[in-house]
Amino acid sequence: MARYLLYFTAEDHYVYASSGARLQLEAQFPGDDAGVVQFRDYLRRRKGALFGVVADLAGEDFQEEQIPLLRGSDREAVVQRRLAQRYRDTRLAAALSLGQVTTAQRKNERLLLASFTSTQQFVPWLDALEEAGARLAGVYSVPLLAPALAASLGVHRGRALLVTVNRAGLRQSFVEDGRLRFARLERTADMQPPALAAFIRSETLRLVQYLVSLRALPREGASLPVMVIAPRGERAVFEQTLVPDGRAAFRTVDAAEAFAAVRLRQAPEGTAAEALYLHLAARKPPKAQFASSGERRRYFIWQLQRALVTAGALGFAACTLFAATRAYEAHDFRTRASELAREARDSAERYQRITASFPVTETTTENLRVAVLEFRRLAEASAQPDPAFIHASRVLERFPQVELDAIQWSLGRPGEPRSAEARTPASSVPRSEQAVQIELSGQVNATQRNDYRAITAQVQAFATALATNGYQLVRTQLPFDVTSEGTLTGDIGGRDSSEAPRFTIIVARSLP
Amino acid sequence: MTFTPEELRKLILPLFAALLLIGAGIFLLSSAREARARAQAEVLAAQGERKQNADRLARIAEEERDVTEKLDVYKQLKRLNILGEERRLEWADAVARIRNQRELLDLTYRVDRQKLLKSVPGKPGTVDFFASTMNVQLDLLHEEDLLRFLRDLRDSGNAYYAVKSCSMRRTGQAATGVTITPRLRAGCEIDLVTVVDHGAKR
Repeated sequence: MARYLLYFTAEDHYVYASSGARLQLEAQFPGDDAGVVQFRDYLRRRKGALFGVVADLAGEDFQEEQIPLLRGSDREAVVQRRLAQRYRDTRLAAALSLGQVTTAQRKNERLLLASFTSTQQFVPWLDALEEAGARLAGVYSVPLLAPALAASLGVHRGRALLVTVNRAGLRQSFVEDGRLRFARLERTADMQPPALAAFIRSETLRLVQYLVSLRALPREGASLPVMVIAPRGERAVFEQTLVPDGRAAFRTVDAAEAFAAVRLRQAPEGTAAEALYLHLAARKPPKAQFASSGERRRYFIWQLQRALVTAGALGFAACTLFAATRAYEAHDFRTRASELAREARDSAERYQRITASFPVTETTTENLRVAVLEFRRLAEASAQPDPAFIHASRVLERFPQVELDAIQWSLGRPGEPRSAEARTPASSVPRSEQAVQIELSGQVNATQRNDYRAITAQVQAFATALATNGYQLVRTQLPFDVTSEGTLTGDIGGRDSSEAPRFTIIVARSLP
Repeated sequence: MTFTPEELRKLILPLFAALLLIGAGIFLLSSAREARARAQAEVLAAQGERKQNADRLARIAEEERDVTEKLDVYKQLKRLNILGEERRLEWADAVARIRNQRELLDLTYRVDRQKLLKSVPGKPGTVDFFASTMNVQLDLLHEEDLLRFLRDLRDSGNAYYAVKSCSMRRTGQAATGVTITPRLRAGCEIDLVTVVDHGAKR
């Protein structure tokens, strides 16, 4: 968006349009009432345009003052009071901070109060801008822009005098540590370059003398650096005249070089060094300016509008940037996933090709596996009674006096003895889940019934013989209860009973 | 700071534009995040599938051996009619044939109704193991007759015979000399196990 600058001189006023690195002269108006009328007419076609005013007038007052070091609204109140004390009309007055100073009593702030000796000349022009709904960015004077120009030319620290030849006249701005201290404008008639250089020299030496008298410069000391911007192609002529001496160390800069320093590529024909100030007012406007906040309200609202849209755009850009990185990562993931899926498919296809050469089955591989595995598990948990019967038979051959009545084979989980009247404590039960158990019931023949000791010994010997070959004795029920917990009965000398004493033996063998 | 209604009107559009832009940005960001999360999940799934397939491929030689070996057993189960539906008539025939061949004195049996022993999940169908419990009572002249009966029953096939219990006891009957008198009485409880493969080709 182009910014319009009203260059305000004592005679004529000019409107420039600044766009990027270009400055274009839009219109020229005489400084009288007719000029105001023309200006109003001009503004009709530029309703709501962005305007700045750059005044280049001789009647600009500068006064250094000190106020207590304050902040916020207190400072603002003190500054406004000082301005009101100094100037009759404070509509276009500014206070530029020159930094802190510590006195014996307190800390103070140095201020440079600045205004125009006659603000009335601005009024119709500012009113015209207000009526046209223009957004006034600020009212600047060329001296207020001088520190920025000096900085662009490499003067950041120390004292320096910046001298330019403007359309309004010879402008001299005294800058100290990047801050404006004093400025003056001296009218110049049409002069040839050598005469202009001589005029600059004499005016500069006069100003230096004046600054010394104001104690703005030390009476004794190094010469003051003076930077003179010579018109295009006149640098050599200027340098011949502007030779350094004990009071002023002249340095001449060609206007083309200065234009490049402030990045101004194109300026209208006939424009002097004021183009530099105008470009800076458009591109790097200083905070200090003369317009009140009321006059700048539209500009503030415009700034707010721009800030809102810019914040939205920045937010959108940041989100888009993050989204782009996420999208890029997602793309990477998808690529990786498709590679992995392809590898998985390849493996599956190879698997299918290889399994196609497997023996033909009547069922699926999975069902084949579970059917056989489960059947094996079932078969392993089963047993046939043959080995147990054969084992019992072989043991029985060694005990002819033992006669079996019954034999019971069973398969199940090994457990506690089934009978509560277990006489012999059960030995350790096999740990495996399934066990074969044999329960043998019988009697002992060829031994006197009342020979408890012999019968017990024979039954125990028989049980011990059974508890071999992997079998373990689970329970032995003797014909006589010889434990302390039982009841022992006898019939000594009585008639022999025909019934032989009976026993029960249980052995078990866990399945492998 | 206060704004006039006209100023507020001037600010509404930029404010709306800013909110719209930020909203659009957030939408873009959340969409991209979701897309990233989905893509990441795809990677994880693909990684898992690839690993599974690669592992399966690495085990293929072992699997081939395994299949060949198990196929022999499977075929044997099929040949013995253990695999398939129950064949109760064949069981009755087998018991009758054994009794005649072994000249057993008296033999009674009862086969209970079939019950599901176990159902193993397979692919595409389950493999079900069924058992029908047979209670058999025999009169014996010699202990060996019981073992021969059980051996013959096993050899007859048509089921897997899992003996649960067997008992033998003396009858106590004295020999008359006129008829053959059984000396022993045996009783067995046997599970007749059959397997039904629901994934088998019909």
